[in-house]
Amino acid sequence: MASFMPLIRGVIYAAIGYAIGASIALGVASMTGEPSTEPMVVLGYVFAVIGWLMGVGMWKTWGAGWFGKPTENDPSGNWSRYLKFNTDHKVIGIQYIVTFAVVFILAGLLAMFMRAELADAGQNVFSKTNYNTTMSLHGIMMVAVAVAIMMGGFGNYVMPLLIGAEDVAFPRINALSFWVVPPVVVLLLLSPVFGGFDTGWTAYPPLATQTPLGGLLFELAFLTFGISSILGGMNFIATIITQRAPGMTWGRLPIFVWAVLAASVISLTATQWIAYGLLMIIFERIFNMVFFSPPGGNALLYEHVFWFYSHPAVYIMILPAFGAELEIISHFARKPLFAYRWVVWAFALIVTLSFVVWAHHLFTSGMGESLHGPFMILTELISIPTGIVFLSALGTLWRSKVRLKVPLLFALGVVFNFSIGGLTGIFLADVATDIALQDTYFVVAHFHYTIMGGEIFGAFAAGYYWYPKITGRMYSETMGRIHFGLMFIMYNITFLAMFIPGTVGMNRRVAEYPPEFEFWNLVTTIAAFGLGLSFLPWVYNMLNSWIRGPKAPDNPWDAKTLEWQTTSPPPLENFDDFPTVTGDAYGYGDDLVVHAVYGRRADEGDGHGHHPAPAEGD
Amino acid sequence: MTAGAIWVLLTIIGELFFLSLGIFGDAASEQGEFIDDAFILLMVLAIPIFTFVVTMIGYIVIKFRAKPGEIEDAAPTRTHTKWVGFWLAWTTILCLVVIVHPGYTGLIELRQTKADEPDLTVNVTGRRWQWSYEYEGRDVSLYSKDEMLVLPNHSLIRFNITAEDQDVIHSFWIPAFRMKIDAVPGLTTYMDVNTTEIGHFNDDVNFRVQCAELCGLDHSLMFTRIKVVEPAEFEQWIAEKAA
Repeated sequence: MASFMPLIRGVIYAAIGYAIGASIALGVASMTGEPSTEPMVVLGYVFAVIGWLMGVGMWKTWGAGWFGKPTENDPSGNWSRYLKFNTDHKVIGIQYIVTFAVVFILAGLLAMFMRAELADAGQNVFSKTNYNTTMSLHGIMMVAVAVAIMMGGFGNYVMPLLIGAEDVAFPRINALSFWVVPPVVVLLLLSPVFGGFDTGWTAYPPLATQTPLGGLLFELAFLTFGISSILGGMNFIATIITQRAPGMTWGRLPIFVWAVLAASVISLTATQWIAYGLLMIIFERIFNMVFFSPPGGNALLYEHVFWFYSHPAVYIMILPAFGAELEIISHFARKPLFAYRWVVWAFALIVTLSFVVWAHHLFTSGMGESLHGPFMILTELISIPTGIVFLSALGTLWRSKVRLKVPLLFALGVVFNFSIGGLTGIFLADVATDIALQDTYFVVAHFHYTIMGGEIFGAFAAGYYWYPKITGRMYSETMGRIHFGLMFIMYNITFLAMFIPGTVGMNRRVAEYPPEFEFWNLVTTIAAFGLGLSFLPWVYNMLNSWIRGPKAPDNPWDAKTLEWQTTSPPPLENFDDFPTVTGDAYGYGDDLVVHAVYGRRADEGDGHGHHPAPAEGD
Repeated sequence: MTAGAIWVLLTIIGELFFLSLGIFGDAASEQGEFIDDAFILLMVLAIPIFTFVVTMIGYIVIKFRAKPGEIEDAAPTRTHTKWVGFWLAWTTILCLVVIVHPGYTGLIELRQTKADEPDLTVNVTGRRWQWSYEYEGRDVSLYSKDEMLVLPNHSLIRFNITAEDQDVIHSFWIPAFRMKIDAVPGLTTYMDVNTTEIGHFNDDVNFRVQCAELCGLDHSLMFTRIKVVEPAEFEQWIAEKAA
């Protein structure tokens, strides 16, 4: 019971916070005579989040210090350390991975219900409102998974290990960025109870300002999640710049770290825009301000602000997956990563271009036609750096010694799926074809190929690859292969079949559709159920192996990066013997390249040593 | 067989398969014909790239797989300047080709009627969850969801599109013409089509106006059936309707 105390305290403080915030709003509203429900919810929620954070341990480990009181921070302990405000990046990584694995399964179940509805043309499983809410919830929950699983999950757990750091630069901010996530999940799950929201995750106003209370809960959740992203991005940038082990020069940085750095730049800078957009919607709702609804407001403005975040955001999702894919390919091909420097430049170019392509989502929005040409060209240019990632993957594998383990299978899955996702992206970057395909199932199939086929397959690759390090146990290779085989085949049938109705005239976000499109929808639905089932061996494998799998050696893959040179799982502060980096991480077949040497350093003993500044250059 | 031969073979099979699919019905507008041709061209260009990736993955997995128990590493090739250069060159060239055609040519195609006087102007208003139409200068308006939108063949038709002020964003999409543009409250957008085929919703479900931007509860039912007829028949219909 004592283990659950921080959570219980968090809930109680949140309730107290809500009562305080709601009372203030009610007081103000009663003086001005304005309607009070939504202001009460908003202000109550703000105070509830503060109460929740303080309750789960932020006060004890951090807040008390602001008032000159002693703080205590003990990130060690048994499993109860996962249930409180904990500053160990490995604990936070596991908190993220487990939380978002659960959200992934829930959002996947929603997709199963949607496919049941879409199996035939009529409307029979859901009422229409419920379908729209289900679709919207599936969207936002999966977007949250996609943003958080690679960055919050594997970024947190692995990135500090890969650079030889003891932790991230700001461990308490790291804990904060995780602990604002549970309110997000709670709000999203509560939203159907309060009328749901039928706007999709894109939440275009004026529709978004007219939804029931459930829509407001969604908007608050999205905003809160943005705060988590911004803090995480900032923390990762600071960590990668300042916490690298001695000798870990930029030219020796493992490619996954470069990918996390690239995605962090987007997290930090782009996410603020969606926060403004959502704040303005919330202000429209609770203060009757006018930003997006005519007369006086401009609905197109929101679309620009929204996509100014949400297009770069897809690179927050896919870049770390590319990083993990290339990392795994090199280690399992037993060959240095091909064209490493070109990949780093490609990531930098992708980040830059990602900020100047957003309006390709708006070719049919009625925006000024002078924007069509530039955004089409800039969008199509992204294919060049993306091509470099493929060159690196295939170049590494060529004439290598492929060890076809489960992580590599998923990494090859990324290469296969993303080639379809990337190529179909050209059809949507081209103005002419986009005008026909926008808002159809072609778009749905395309982004599932990039985000699910690319990033989520990459996340599974990362999950299997780092499983022994994270849990200290080996997963079952056979079960992993069954999972991969089923998932890969069912996934591809599901989403290939989706391109066809999209191309011939079926629009997205509908519960019912003309019966002409029934056949391919039925194919998709049957395959989607198969896809759903493919996760059962994964869940079983992950849970069963964690409990009774064979103990994992420190370095089961014989890989050269730093995380495999410490124990599985690593100790608090990661390394018993501190690494000094002497070469890059990809010296396979090259005995002259030694990644790191280990030994106690002069600052041994104080546990929070001051690393000598890493040398620049290579 | 070498990887190259497999690639060529797969590409030929892929192209033939795609071109034989004929997944499109006939587009019923000049703009739509351009768009269908653009789609086909992009697919023809995409197939060799896809088959290249598939061939490479398959070949690598079979050919370069480590034997059981083999612990040696591969030869440490770190980069290959000529290959990188070649790769950058072909991706860049292909990208530029696509930007010019169907990219830039598409922009010209879609705008070329902009200055022309249309044969028929239809003012369209979207509101939840139906469309209403006013045939400009013809004294005919359609307000009921059950009425059919009748349009003349071989004509330049301009739709001026908006949504009611207190309403939400819709999208005016006619799949048979392959064209769509949003109906935004407080903004008037336009869409030009040169019709080329007669057609009827009952024969081809793509002859419909479909709302394509999620607008809430009855979004999926926000459609109007369309009939495209020869100009003489259209004039007859509009005269009857106006009377």
